[in-house]
Formats: sequence, structure tokens, C-alpha cells
Amino acid sequence: MAEKNGGIPPANLNGISRPGRGAVVVKPKNMKGTLARLWRLTKGQRKGLGWILLLSALASAASILSPYVTGRAVNAVQNKDALFTVLACLAGLYATDWLVKFLQAFFMALIGQRVIHHIRRTLFGHMKTLPLSFFDRHRHGELMSRLTNDVDNISTTISNSLTLLLTYGFTITGIFVMMLFLSPLLTMVSLFGVGVIFLLTKTITKRTRKLFSQQQKSLGALNGQVEESISGLSLIKAFGREEEMEREFGKKNEELCSVSVKALICSGYLMPLMNVVNNLLYVAISVLSGILFVNGRITDIGLVTSFLLYVRQFTRPFVEIANIYNNFQTAVAGAERVFEIMDELPEPPDKEGALQLAFPRGDIAFCHVGFGYETGKPVLKDISLRIPAGTQVAIVGATGSGKTTIINLLTRFYDVSSGSILLDGSDIRDYRMEDLRKAFGVVLQDTALFAASIRENISYGHPGACMEEVQKAAKTAGADSFIERLPKGYDTVLDSGGMELSQGERQLLTIARAVLADAPILILDEATSSVDTVTEQKIRRAMLKICKDRTSIIIAHRLSTIRDSDLIILLEDGRIAEQGSHKELMERNGRYAQMYRTQTNMRAADSM
Amino acid sequence: MKLIFQYLQKHLGIFLLSTSFLIMEAMADLLQPTLMSAIVDEGIKNASVRQILFYGAVMLGIAATGAVCAVMRNRFASRVSQTVGKEMRRDMYRNVGKLSMENIDRLRPDSIITRITNDVAQVQEFINGIMRIMVKAPVTCIGAIILIMVQTPGQAPVMAAIIFVVALLILANMRIGYPRFGTVQKRIDRLNGVSREFLSSVRVVKAFGAQEEETKKFEEVSLALAASNTAALRTMAVFSPLINLAVNFGIVLLLWIYGNGQSGEIGKLMASVNYMTQVLFAVNMISNTLNTAVRATASAERIQEVLDEKPSQVFAANPLMPQIMGDIRFEGVSFAYAGAGKETLHNIELHIHAGETVGIIGATGSGKTTFVNLVPRFYDATKGRIWIDGCDITQIDAVHLRASIAVVPQKALLFSGTVRENLQWGRADAADDELRMAAGIACAEEFIEKSKEGYDTILGQGGVNLSGGQKQRLSIARALVRRPRILILDDCTSALDAQTEAKVLSGLRKMTDNMTVLLVSQRISTVMRADTILCMDNGYVQGYGSHEELMKTCSAYRKIFQSQIGVGEEADYG
Repeated sequence: MAEKNGGIPPANLNGISRPGRGAVVVKPKNMKGTLARLWRLTKGQRKGLGWILLLSALASAASILSPYVTGRAVNAVQNKDALFTVLACLAGLYATDWLVKFLQAFFMALIGQRVIHHIRRTLFGHMKTLPLSFFDRHRHGELMSRLTNDVDNISTTISNSLTLLLTYGFTITGIFVMMLFLSPLLTMVSLFGVGVIFLLTKTITKRTRKLFSQQQKSLGALNGQVEESISGLSLIKAFGREEEMEREFGKKNEELCSVSVKALICSGYLMPLMNVVNNLLYVAISVLSGILFVNGRITDIGLVTSFLLYVRQFTRPFVEIANIYNNFQTAVAGAERVFEIMDELPEPPDKEGALQLAFPRGDIAFCHVGFGYETGKPVLKDISLRIPAGTQVAIVGATGSGKTTIINLLTRFYDVSSGSILLDGSDIRDYRMEDLRKAFGVVLQDTALFAASIRENISYGHPGACMEEVQKAAKTAGADSFIERLPKGYDTVLDSGGMELSQGERQLLTIARAVLADAPILILDEATSSVDTVTEQKIRRAMLKICKDRTSIIIAHRLSTIRDSDLIILLEDGRIAEQGSHKELMERNGRYAQMYRTQTNMRAADSM
Repeated sequence: MKLIFQYLQKHLGIFLLSTSFLIMEAMADLLQPTLMSAIVDEGIKNASVRQILFYGAVMLGIAATGAVCAVMRNRFASRVSQTVGKEMRRDMYRNVGKLSMENIDRLRPDSIITRITNDVAQVQEFINGIMRIMVKAPVTCIGAIILIMVQTPGQAPVMAAIIFVVALLILANMRIGYPRFGTVQKRIDRLNGVSREFLSSVRVVKAFGAQEEETKKFEEVSLALAASNTAALRTMAVFSPLINLAVNFGIVLLLWIYGNGQSGEIGKLMASVNYMTQVLFAVNMISNTLNTAVRATASAERIQEVLDEKPSQVFAANPLMPQIMGDIRFEGVSFAYAGAGKETLHNIELHIHAGETVGIIGATGSGKTTFVNLVPRFYDATKGRIWIDGCDITQIDAVHLRASIAVVPQKALLFSGTVRENLQWGRADAADDELRMAAGIACAEEFIEKSKEGYDTILGQGGVNLSGGQKQRLSIARALVRRPRILILDDCTSALDAQTEAKVLSGLRKMTDNMTVLLVSQRISTVMRADTILCMDNGYVQGYGSHEELMKTCSAYRKIFQSQIGVGEEADYG
């Protein structure tokens, strides 16, 4: 919580300002460049920001003037003259201060949020254009916090610390001028005090920062241990490891406690010491002004009052500026991480004069396709194959043999490293991306559903579909019976993204979704891998129905699912090992036949 | 709140010590303005350097005392808050360790984790806060008011009026601000939800070309969040300058009264102004810590819930420690998960002989996992009894029982540490030879030895640096190292390709001759070779016998067989 005390004449503020607790400073790599980029993102709000800056300048002007006027007022009280005028002045000053602060915060609430929304929007807008490889490379939790908390924190911290730094800058300069104006000699003494405070802050925060980052580390270690052991509790019980886990937890817990205590104690030295220095300064100035008073060099008690007030206000920002600057740095470094995402290259744009793909026939050919997710680690090697329109092709193979990669290339989630993929005779990279993706109806391994109604989920990708179409699609997929059994039917809202349905039911919904999309080419990636056999049969029936008259590509673990395909392709280690119909491959009695036997009958496998 | 005080009670001595230092610190702070006023009134005004030096010395002395008190207070307060946090975490962790899986399901693991980490941190912060501000603020507040009234009694009514106005403002701020911040929280949750959904289904979004819809959704929630944030921040924008204004006007009023009165000690006036601002800060601080108090109370409640949770299983007072051979008998066993309403297992009646391998097959949700979870007593039967080697399972010492059982769960879970440490979970004193042999059978040897560090390879939390199949193989090896009497394999080969799976299973067969093995699978080919097969459907035993018997007598089994292997195939390859 930032302090709100700007307008009040300085008082004894001991122990109220918090030293930067838990501050672990991360230095930005390119402060100037990042700030310039942030500035560019404030487009449209700059007028408002300008007003806010102006207001903060005014606010510091008020706080610079008020001790002086207070001193005048003290004189007026002392000498019983013109009290009303001075007090009216003071009241006016306070009122201005209030108005300015109110306006500043009021506008900031609007403009700050607009900037945040704008940054967030820009970030999301960019993220959605990024290729799949980006999402595969980054942990989702991390990306999520970039989109939500980070943007918020970054903009708030940057704008807050920027205004504070500015205000303090104004204030310090203003006060310095006022102090010089009141008494240059006393000002010199105060500067000495400021120097001491500055050194003190620096030494202490240097030590605390190290301790706090240690604390952060042990906290991370403890949290990791807790997470691991609680989510694996049944296993811990099964293996009787309760004691070991508790011992380890105890050790980490103890570590965290002791380092936290150290950090807190260390950071707790700052404020009291500061207080002593402040008081020392106060006494020094009092003594000095007393001597000056005796010598008749100062005749004005109000001046002393004002000066003493100024000294208090003068030293405070120095304590805080270091902290604020650290927060600022950390926030800028955070902004850099956001910009890193914005710098990721989006999916390549469509070529100029990209082909339209209105009614694809679904004739697919792979010509010497090679691909690797990382350079030097090829996943697919020299794949050539032809899938005539209207045929059903199954791709089988061990985990890691490259089945899903083929799908990734075909839908252009990734682009081939060498060779080419043709659809209806043209390279898929020559089509408009939007058209190309529309040519495929995809049922993926993970049954991703959305927190929306069943109807909306089925019509995903075809939002304008009417109820009849949705029902028809559900029926084709064999999902209608369970949907109609739900109390709210098609309007049932899947709050948790479908976790309330069984795996099989979710899978049927994703099939219905693909049916409604009515794409000429269907891709089913392990659609039945985690489903029981009865549901599997249901899904298989649905698949057969919708695969009719379409080019369809099926990836399956269970070979029993794909026996009837027109063409079966066996991938091994990124190459096509065998291809042909089930019958052909069984007759050939090669790898496929062996696999098939292993899967369907252990005894046969054993006897080999 | 009660919980917090309970824990504080244990450190009452230090807590009180810290509080007394705090009070001294506050008093030292309170004396400063009076001394300053003395310096001005008696020193500067009279131009008496001696007086200034005298009061200056007193002031410095008191400031130093105050500083020492502050340092001491901070030492004790930090120790108390951190120790209380440590103890809370420890007690929660211990209690969770004692809970039954039923309790864990109900509390949800991720929720328990947040409670141990975040909620305790929240409470810690609060305790630190109480000792810094909650005690200091009232002391300062009351002290300042008393001092003003003693030194300048004429100002009491003005003071009262100002404090009243400020209190009203703070109250109004809370009244209006709280619900607004509540809305903000809800909208943050929604933004999180939409982002999570987008990220986890980005493939689908792209495949269906629905980027525009997702953008619309995201922008909507982002805009709503911005609007509610603006509304919430605006209450602050209105109130916090108003509070300042009220106090500042109070100062003007004080000066006015002073100027028109007769008492002319300027230093006292300054002191009053100083005290006013101290009161203001104290009040502000109290309202800020009230926020933490609300959060800390909620956190304390959530912590209390974990601490109060009693294991739902009853453990025998004088447990039996029979030698476990692996003979398991289910006698009319039914089971329902707590709060599920319906039974997951119905009246299971069967006998598994020691050394037998039982294959368990059935659709998802048929109760296979639940069935095997009853054997190591993760859960207790709601009806009926389970006998292990002739002893009622609830009478056997759970640790003793589990020492003879090894479980390979569906989801392979590994723990941070080296490969060796993970395998030694099975048996702490297992020699390298044994580890190697177990790894060999589980087909894990190859990839372990391929990695540079071999058995000393360090696995990240949950084994993140391994593939699903590698994790499963290590998890199987870990169970084998245990040399259990009862081995439970719960669909633990799903991520292995058919070849590796066949190799692992045939290796297992050789090693498990005298073990009782419960082998759960969805693939009929996996269970077909077991001595006995248990076919489950919807929580009922549909068939229990050899493959040949079940083919003859059990239609559910036949149906699975046909769907996976086909009608004609058996003749061809059987």
C-alpha cells in the first residue's frame, strides 16, 4: 500500500514507512528500449497521462508550499497579525492539494485501466497468431500469468512508481530551493544528514536484498516439496514413506523460518536507525538555529518552524526513492518478458496471391517430407505417400514414431523442414491459412471443450449453426442419447470445460463438433485411446458414418480400430515401414502383423 | 481468529515482550513532538543554547531508546510470526499425513497445498502486522489524543470532531469499496478462466479457425475487469484525499483557535499539529490492517479446517502384525465414495489365493481401481469385510500391511531426487544390483544407462524431465524393488507401445511367481494370460475365472473380447 500523506505537513513518521520487504530486484536488460515500447502502447491515452503528470507536479507544489505557509501562520499566531489571511491561504492550499490529488487518482483509475486493457488486448491479439510451437514450448501457467497478473502488476507498478518518482523529484527540488531560500547554512547541515541517511539505506538494503532472495528460494523449495508430497500422498502411504517426507518437510520448514527471521530482523534495522538520524538532524538544526537566534542572525520563529518542517519532508523521499526505483526496475524487467512474447514471430502470413480453397476434394500427397521440432533431431524422414480423395487412411506405430507429427504438418501447426505436402495438387503453403484449416475437421487426443453450453460447444467453429444442425450433428456422432438425458439437454453448461462428463461423452462431443464443421477431410487423432470398449464401439460406429465419402486420416493405438481402413501406414522411427490394407499387411507377415498379433493375443506373441 | 491466538499463546512470553517493547517504542515516538516543542518554546524562543542542548540530548536519548525498542520489538515479532507460521505448516502437514484418502479427496489436494503455503503466509503477514501496527496504532492514537488534551485542553472538542469525521469517512470507504473490490476479484477469476481455456485448447481454436471468437471473449472479460477496477480505484480516489483534507482542515482550525486564544506557546502548537498527523496515520494504518484481518480470518478458517479434519478410517488400538502371504478374501464388500450417493462397488465376494495373478478388466468407471485401492487400505469398505491371510484388514497394522504391498498407480508419480533414490522408495536398503535387475524387468535399464548420470540422474519435481512411458517404467521398477507379497498394477502400461508392454509383462510374469498380483487393464490382451480374470461392470463382478471359463459363461467378457480382438481372430491366432 503506497503511503498517502503528501499533503500533510511533515510529522514524526517513525516506523510507518515500510522498507522494501521481500523486494527481490530483477534488473531489466534494456531499460530505455522497454520504456520506449511501453510509451508506444499508451497511444490514445497520452493526453490523459499528460494531465496526470501535470497534476502530480501541482500536488508536489502544494506540499512544497504548505510548510512555508504553516511557518507564516505560526508567526501570525505569535505576533497576532493578519492571522485570518494566512490561515485562509493555508486552507486554500490544502483545498487545492485535495482537489489535485482527487483528480489525479480519479483520472488515473480510468486511464491506467485503459492502458492495462490495451496492453492485455494487444498481447492476446498477438498470442493468438503465434504458431503452435510457441505454446508447446512454454508452460501454460506461465503464459497465463503473463496475460493476467503480470500485465496488471507491470502497468500499475510502472505508473505508480513513475508518478511517485516524479513527485519526489519535484518535491525534493522544490524543498531544497525553499530551504536555501530560508537559510543556506541550515540547508548545508541538512544535506549532511541526507548523506548519512542515504548511506544507511544503501548498506542495509544491500544486505536485506540478499536475505530476501534466499528466503524466496527456500520458500520455493518448501512449496515444491508440499506440492509433490500432497499430490502423491497415496503413494507415500503405500510405500510407507511418511516419516522421511515429514523429516524432509521439517528440514525445509526450519530453513525457511530461520532465513525469514534473519531477513525480517535485518530489514527492521532501517527505520529505527533512520529515526535516530532524523532526530539527530532535528536537534542539530535546533541547536544551530538557537545559536543563530542568540546572535540575532535569525529573528523569525516562523522561519525556524518552516525549516524544521522542511527537513523532515526532505529526508523521507531519499529513503523511499531507492525502494521505488527497485520496484520500477523489477516491473520494467517484467514488461520485458511480456514484450518477449510480443516479439515471437507469428505464423507466417499468407503468400501474396494465396490460393483460395473453396471446395477441396481432399486429395493429399506427401512428397519427401522431412521434419524435426528441434534442428538436428528429425522426427519424420523422407515421408512420401498419397491419400486419394474419399479414402480412409490409418497411421499406426509406436509412441514417438511420428504419427501426430504428420497431423501437425498437414494442418500447418508446423511447417515441413524439407519436401512438400500437396492438397488437391498444390502445396498447402500456397493456400490461405484460413481456408486450409477449414478444410480439416479435427478430433484430437485431448478432448478440449469450452466452458459454454453443449450447443455452443458443438457449434464451435460454426457459430451460426441452428439448433437442428446441432442436433443432427450430435445424432451422427451418437452423442444425442446422452445429451438428451441431461436435465437441460443441449443447454447444459459445461462449467468446468466438460469435466462433469465422462471421457467417452466428451469424446463424442468433440466428434459432433467435427461433424458440424462439415470439413471435407477428417482427422481423428487417437480418438478412442482412453475410452472403454463399449464407448469405443459407439465412437467407431460414429466415425464410420462420418468418414463415408470423405478423406479421413485416423491415428490409433489399438489396431483393432482401424482394420477396415483402405490404407494402413506403419510408421517406425519417422519412416514409413510398411503400407497396404490390413489383409495385405497380414499376409506380408511383417512388423504390422507381428504388432497386430501382440496386441490381440499374447499367446501368439509368446510363441514367436 | 481463535486459531491465531491459540498459536500465539505458545509464544506468549515473547509476544508480550515484543508488545511491551512496542508500547515503549510508541511512547518514545509520542514524546518526540513534546520535546521538540520544548526546544522551540524554551530553547529557541529564549535563545538559550543550554536549554536546546539539554532538551536535544533528552530527545536524542529517547529516540535512541525508541530505536533500540523498535529493533528488539522487530526481532521478537519476526521470530514469533515466523515460528507460528512454521508450526502451523508443520501441524497441518502432520495432520494431512495422518488423513485417509477419503479426507484428501474431500479437501482436494490442490486446496490443501494452497492452505499450507498461501494461507499460512497470509496469517504470518497478519501476525507481523498486529505486532507492528494493530497494537501500535491504538497506542499512538490514544496517547496522542491524551497528550493534546493535557497540553492544550481547549482543543479537545475540535479533535473529537475531526476524529469523528475521519472515522465516518473510513467507514464509508469500506462500505462502498469492499463490494467493489469483491467484483474485481470475481472478474479476475473470469479472466483467468478464459485465458486458461484458450491456452489449453489452442489446438482446437486454431483447427476450427475460431481465433476471432476467442479474441472477442477475451476482450469482453478484460474490459469488464478494467471497468470494475476503475470503479474500485475511484472509491479510493474519492476517499483517501478526503481523509487527508479533513485532518488538514483540523490543523487550520487548531491554528485558528490558537491564534484567537491567549496561550502563545508556539512549540505546543507545533506539537499539536504533529500529534494530529500521528493520529491520522494511526487511523489510516488501522483501516489498512483491517483488510489484512479480513483476509487472515478467512485463511485461519481454512487452516483450521485442515487441522480439524479427523482421519475417516478407524485404526485398531492393538493392531495385528500377521506375516502377509497374499491371500485376499472379499466378503460381501460394497463401497461408496464419501458424498457420492451411489455405490461404486456392490457386494463383491471373491477369494484370491496367495501367489495367484488376477487380471481385472472392465469399462472405465466399472470400479477396477476402487477395487484394488481397498487392498492397501487407501479406503475402507462401507459394507462387508476384507480378509488378508485370515485377518480382518481393519485389524492389521496399516504400515505393516503396506510394507508387503507394492502399488504401481495409473498415473506414474515420481519424486524429486535421483533415479536411485526414487527406486529405493521400494526398499531403502536395496543394493544397486537389485535396482538394476528391477529396472531391467521394467525395461527402464536402457534409458537410465543411456543418460549421462545413470542412476544418479536427478529427476525434477514429479519427474518432469521424463516422458510418460519412462515414468511408467520407473514406477514399475520401484514397485519391483520392494519385493512385495502383493503387487498391484493399475493400468500402468498405457503409455508404453505394444512391444515394450509385452516385454514388461512377460518379464513380470517370471518374477512374480510367488506374489499375488492384481493386474488392472483395459486391454483384454493384457489380462488374458492371468491365472484368474475378474471382469467388472458398473461395480458388479460379472465373472471370475479363467479366460476359457469366462468366454463360456460371461457375456460381458465375451463382448469385450469381441470388440477388441474380433470374432474370427481367435481361431486364426489363438
